Amino acid sequence: MIRAIFQIALREWKRILTRPDHCLVLLVLPPLLFFFYAYIYDKQQAEDLPVAIWDEDRSPVSRQITFLLEQTPSIRITASVNSQDELEALMQQQQVIGAVHFPRGMERDIKSRHPVKVPIYTNAASLVPGKLINKDASTVIITAAAGVNLQKFMKTGMPAGKAMSLVMPVSMTVYPLYNPTYNYQHYLVPGLITVALQMMIIMVAVLLINMEWKEGSMSELRAMARNHAGVIIAGKTLAHLGVAWVNFVLVAGIIFPFFSLQHPGTTGQLFVLYNLLALACTGIGLMISVLAADVMLALDVGLFYTSPAFVFSGFTFPRWAMPWYDQYYASLMPYTPFLDAFFKVYFMELPLRYAMPEITRLLLFIGCTFFVAVFFLQLKLNKQQTYAATARI
Amino acid sequence: MPQQQGYRPFRLLLREAALVAKDHSLLLTLLIAPLLYAFFYGSIYSYKAEEEVPIAVVDEDRTSLSRTLIQQINNTQMVHVTAVTTLEAAKEAMYHGRTQGFLYIQRGMEKKVLSLQQANMVLALNAARFLPSSDVLGAITEVGLTVGAGVRLQYLQKQEGMNTEIAGREVMAVKPDARPLFNNRTDYGTFLLPGLLAMILQQTLLLGLAGGTAAERQRNTFAAWMQAAGNNLSTALWGKGLFYFILFSCYAFFFLTVNFGVLELRLLGNAWELALVTALFLVSLIPMGIFTGLLFRSQLLCTQLLAFSTYPIFLITGYTWPIQQLPDGLKAAGSLLPITPFLSLYQGIVQQGAHITDRLPALYHLCILWCLYTLLCLWSIQKLARKARKTPLPVA
Repeated sequence: MIRAIFQIALREWKRILTRPDHCLVLLVLPPLLFFFYAYIYDKQQAEDLPVAIWDEDRSPVSRQITFLLEQTPSIRITASVNSQDELEALMQQQQVIGAVHFPRGMERDIKSRHPVKVPIYTNAASLVPGKLINKDASTVIITAAAGVNLQKFMKTGMPAGKAMSLVMPVSMTVYPLYNPTYNYQHYLVPGLITVALQMMIIMVAVLLINMEWKEGSMSELRAMARNHAGVIIAGKTLAHLGVAWVNFVLVAGIIFPFFSLQHPGTTGQLFVLYNLLALACTGIGLMISVLAADVMLALDVGLFYTSPAFVFSGFTFPRWAMPWYDQYYASLMPYTPFLDAFFKVYFMELPLRYAMPEITRLLLFIGCTFFVAVFFLQLKLNKQQTYAATARI
Repeated sequence: MPQQQGYRPFRLLLREAALVAKDHSLLLTLLIAPLLYAFFYGSIYSYKAEEEVPIAVVDEDRTSLSRTLIQQINNTQMVHVTAVTTLEAAKEAMYHGRTQGFLYIQRGMEKKVLSLQQANMVLALNAARFLPSSDVLGAITEVGLTVGAGVRLQYLQKQEGMNTEIAGREVMAVKPDARPLFNNRTDYGTFLLPGLLAMILQQTLLLGLAGGTAAERQRNTFAAWMQAAGNNLSTALWGKGLFYFILFSCYAFFFLTVNFGVLELRLLGNAWELALVTALFLVSLIPMGIFTGLLFRSQLLCTQLLAFSTYPIFLITGYTWPIQQLPDGLKAAGSLLPITPFLSLYQGIVQQGAHITDRLPALYHLCILWCLYTLLCLWSIQKLARKARKTPLPVA
């Protein structure tokens, strides 16, 4: 039986290398797509975004704040406006993404102890740059406000330490763990790569059985497996697991080091998780392939099932903010538990035991899908055998 | 006959409808997937923004000030304090994914504040996920500033003898005032959904049209297609494309009325301008789809490979990541896709109330791509038509 499994695995490897619908998806596409993803975020952070200044105050204070704004990573002052209409027109023409408005009499009001609001306009239809500009501009304004308060208290003869404690009675030290610089490449690329991998595995696995029936090669395969569905499934799975390992080497050995995305000491644990994902995806693909005799239908089902995995997994938009039915659907995809475990093992560099709930769910996926695939394939093989025997008689 | 010549595009339209009706994969892709995806993906962002991000608090101060601070944080829409616990338990909760971080309040915070010494607290956030961590940081910073202002207010009232109004003016001399335009709540759903619907429109059209065209080659019906078009290349292209143009114009209208209504999205600009831009987008996509389909001899391989184009295309259009920040090679690749100028025009009209005239370069860009893909497609059809003429038509 073991020999038969290896023979089928070898046969499957030959199919993988010779069939374009296997070879292109499993071996040609991965390096192209993964480099492409990593290259998109090569700059890692959005910087020097065009911002306008609407300076009605035209005072030394407004000029000083403008200078401070220029020093932030996200802001580059590129235009000057005189009204909100002019600003909106510039945003509509995509010339600026944000603006800071210094109202008339700002310096005078500060000196005469009148509170001043400094509006920060952002084009929130462009969410990422808008948020970055707002964050940096707010930091500058808050720092300027703290400076004004500090000067006021110190002018009354208060010692610097005491004045500082009044300006900011409770300071906050922030530790953004696991991605301290909010690096987009580090954040998005591993997720995009893993979601593409699961899609590749499923999109090929949905063709593994029905294509044999369609092309009339199932008899040969059945003979090799001596009519054991389990042997066919095991042989094919072994071959595809081998391809998955090739892609793991590509990701962990080439892409991650090349783009400095690797987390030292996580490769072994990641390999365990990745194998579980590969098996779960192969199991789902095989199950569809056994149940859907029509290859195009199976491919459409695979496409419909896998393509939303990235957004449903909660990678960019958290699952708890989705309606309950979407959360439920997300739980029906192996990528969801994989991603949760991936965050723990890869980004947070935690031991594998923290990912046990997710590992259990992946094992459940594997158990259920392989059982269904083997069971129904065996039924079909038995039916074919009976039919062949009847035909002989 | 000249009369027949005029009817040819409509005959091709009927031929295409018949082909789609017979092919259940195309039926699924063209008739069910666009609607299903639009509702399916749309529903994810139906709440538009996240709320109640779970965090833990380690309160070593245990005073009225620390309790007030925790309560104020918990009262914000963005943060939900799941537990006031020990440092170890807070770390474990974050490691297990139950919380997105924790706030550590040091012992003696109230005492320090009352004796006019600066106190400190530590916020540890799981920044592996961007959205929750940045939202929590924003909300807690806001609360920290409010608490600071409260302390100053009390000091000025008690020590300097100021009344509430004067002290109130003093505490926050300069204050930033965030004014997000075109998406007042700065929510993720309002930002992403219009682009997502446009992307669904493009990808289902490309998958269906390219898949269907590849099927023509696979089933050896290319010569029959040419014959139905009277061997006229333009008729072959636009006759086939007419079916997709009508179908996807209907989808675009449906998305804009029904999906926008269900998802509470607003069209800020002019609907006619949007219709014009969408029509231009569709007529650019049609030759692109046919050209792509003609590159394949297998419908299966074409569908398989196109399925992997969705994310790469969306990521280089400049919708989620500023186009200026892309490497030059990818900027060039993005500029070859009709969706890049289309999204610029579409986002301007839908989300910012802009006019076509505000984004004329994008309009010219889209027109150039329309011409480019039409020429490429005609050249490709001509090349295959020559080949088909040499081989006889298969017996029906």
